[in-house]
Amino acid sequence: MSTARALLDDQRTLVGALVALVAVIALLLFVDLPGSDLVTVGALERALQAATPIALAAIGGLYAEKSGVFNIGLEGFMIFGALVGAAVAWLLAGDGSITQAHLWVAFVAVAVVSGVLATLFAVLLIRYEANQIVAGLAVWFIGLGFGPFAATVLWGGVSSPSLPNIDTIAVPVLAEIPVLGRLFFDASPLVLLTIVVAVAAWAVLFRTRYGYWVQAAGENPEALDTAGIDVNRVRYATVVFSGVMAGLGGAVLSIGIGSGFTGTGVTMVDGRGWIAIVAYLFGNYNPLGTYGASLLFGAMDMLQIQLQTIGISLPGSITGLFPYVAVLVVLVGVGYTRVPSAVGESYDTEE
Amino acid sequence: MSDAATGVRSLADRIAARMLDASVLERVVIALVATALALLIGAVIVAASGYDAVEFVSSLVYGAVGNVSNLAFMLRQSSMLILTGVAVAVAFRAGVFNIGVQGQFVVGGFAATLGILFAAPLLPNSPVSAIPLLALATLLALAAGGAYGALPGVMKAYAGANEVITTIMLNFIASGVVYFLLDAYLRPEGAAAPNTEQFPDYVGLPGLVFESPSFSILGLGVALLTVVVVYLVMDRTGFGYDLVTSGYQEPAAKYSGVDPKRMIVRTMTISGMIAGLAGALFAIMILGYYSDPNTFPTFGFDAIAVSLLAANNPLGVVPAGLLFGGLDAGGQYIGFTLDVPSELVDGVIGLIVLFVAAPELFRAAGQHTSLGGDRE
Repeated sequence: MSTARALLDDQRTLVGALVALVAVIALLLFVDLPGSDLVTVGALERALQAATPIALAAIGGLYAEKSGVFNIGLEGFMIFGALVGAAVAWLLAGDGSITQAHLWVAFVAVAVVSGVLATLFAVLLIRYEANQIVAGLAVWFIGLGFGPFAATVLWGGVSSPSLPNIDTIAVPVLAEIPVLGRLFFDASPLVLLTIVVAVAAWAVLFRTRYGYWVQAAGENPEALDTAGIDVNRVRYATVVFSGVMAGLGGAVLSIGIGSGFTGTGVTMVDGRGWIAIVAYLFGNYNPLGTYGASLLFGAMDMLQIQLQTIGISLPGSITGLFPYVAVLVVLVGVGYTRVPSAVGESYDTEE
Repeated sequence: MSDAATGVRSLADRIAARMLDASVLERVVIALVATALALLIGAVIVAASGYDAVEFVSSLVYGAVGNVSNLAFMLRQSSMLILTGVAVAVAFRAGVFNIGVQGQFVVGGFAATLGILFAAPLLPNSPVSAIPLLALATLLALAAGGAYGALPGVMKAYAGANEVITTIMLNFIASGVVYFLLDAYLRPEGAAAPNTEQFPDYVGLPGLVFESPSFSILGLGVALLTVVVVYLVMDRTGFGYDLVTSGYQEPAAKYSGVDPKRMIVRTMTISGMIAGLAGALFAIMILGYYSDPNTFPTFGFDAIAVSLLAANNPLGVVPAGLLFGGLDAGGQYIGFTLDVPSELVDGVIGLIVLFVAAPELFRAAGQHTSLGGDRE
């Protein structure tokens, strides 16, 4: 039974990947273009950058869900991260100009603040057994309200003034490698950092005892409890981790590759937290697959520039929708990924 | 066979009825405490940001009900929130999270606008033409909203796609596509903003009680009528029974012959139709033309809070809608008169949702404050 189900799931994933591939090919045929013009080093560079905030949030969300808690508040945590990053950098600089050191301190501050907020969220979800979907939506609403509110208090408008961002760093020697050098070693350090995080997240989840605990907390909490491990403690850790990662993803948007906080509309995060959830579903809860899916969505996000450079001018309002459409295509393709069996259930130890 | 089915049906009926009714009082208390707590935190944040918290709260109240025009504005916002709130409640009641009411609202209003703009020149320029135009606009809004709601329903039922995410994506897509169409095809020659032409003067709802250009008591009437119809359908018909049991007692519903997949699609369609109707009301009563959906109020999102506060009960949506309409009107008044940013009110609404999501928090608080009742 379970083997059959697993087989079916694998097929679903395959079907999903095929659907996505067909969609891309159909797009290429539809606009009648050689694909080689679309895939350039510049395009890859932009895709890697656009994938970074999505991948960070997605890897965090993946850990939470693997341990049995659906953190649907990623989008909200990203908004707080983007705001706190911009605010701390701006406040630290005082009247002077913002330096690289300020930006890096702000980046760390985002991790701390996001950790505190995520802890409160985790207490509501785990200790007080809040409805995970409703509470996650609430985090989004709170971000949408208090983000622009705080921006108005600080800057007199819902957006911050234009801020500098974290410089690209060229790694000596490695930066000289053709193509790869430019993509990874003469790029925003956050791009490289995210790739390292993805690999580390994969190693921890599938190759360490702690990763086994995380998986067991989501699949079979009773067994983990019997083995003497505190299920809820594992879940607290993953939810806080997911909040921190989503916060950092938001900070990447405001001070990493963007230039400040934008609080208009649905803020500068603009649905990337939701896309992150789909990224780890599409990546079948594998951090490396999740990074790949984030890259796909990042590329979709940047497709507009590519289309323009080769002379296709679709209005920005339409090309801006590509990532959202891609999410729908992917979700319909991989709808039945096997969710950890204890997701959404609170766990009470029998004591 | 049919006897067994009826037996299961009545058993499931009793269970569902009990589950729905047992905690009504508790829900009311939780809703009130959650709102009070969220407002308190809001006031603390106002004070911490260096503003006057007392002035904030009193302005909030004055902005909602302080004078006739404020009251009209509050009722206008409440009408929209009641209507969109019922749209959310119908889906939630059936166990489906429709976060896409905003998108269905946008699409519905757009369809109504297209109907009015294209049909108006074909009819004589007289007030009598308003009747067929309004009827056409309403039908188109119901159809478009329903279809746009059915889409994530089909995706969930037949492909297992999580409706929370698909509906949010469809919100972005609705705003983007409608903006594109407005900008590219419907903007009058030489106009700077992506707005359609104004509707003919005679297309609108008469103010009647209030002298407000953007609120008619008929709008509130439409919202309340919808509530009553939805309540009767959900409480008194076989369809409504199937809808609620498939949300609360899926196995029982399945056993009594309800196809859960078809139920999801139907639920989302109905929810979308009501959202579409709200869109038509917004275009006709409030705007009188159509414009960039990215600038619209987020009724569809606030409606989620309305529905949750009402415990997804269609009748409960009315007081919850009035409360949020008041918060909304008070918040906008604050934005105009004090220098406290009105976005704060959106944050307070988010806090209310957060607290409503965690009834255990209040139970725990209740146990702690019952002073020794449980202690030894």
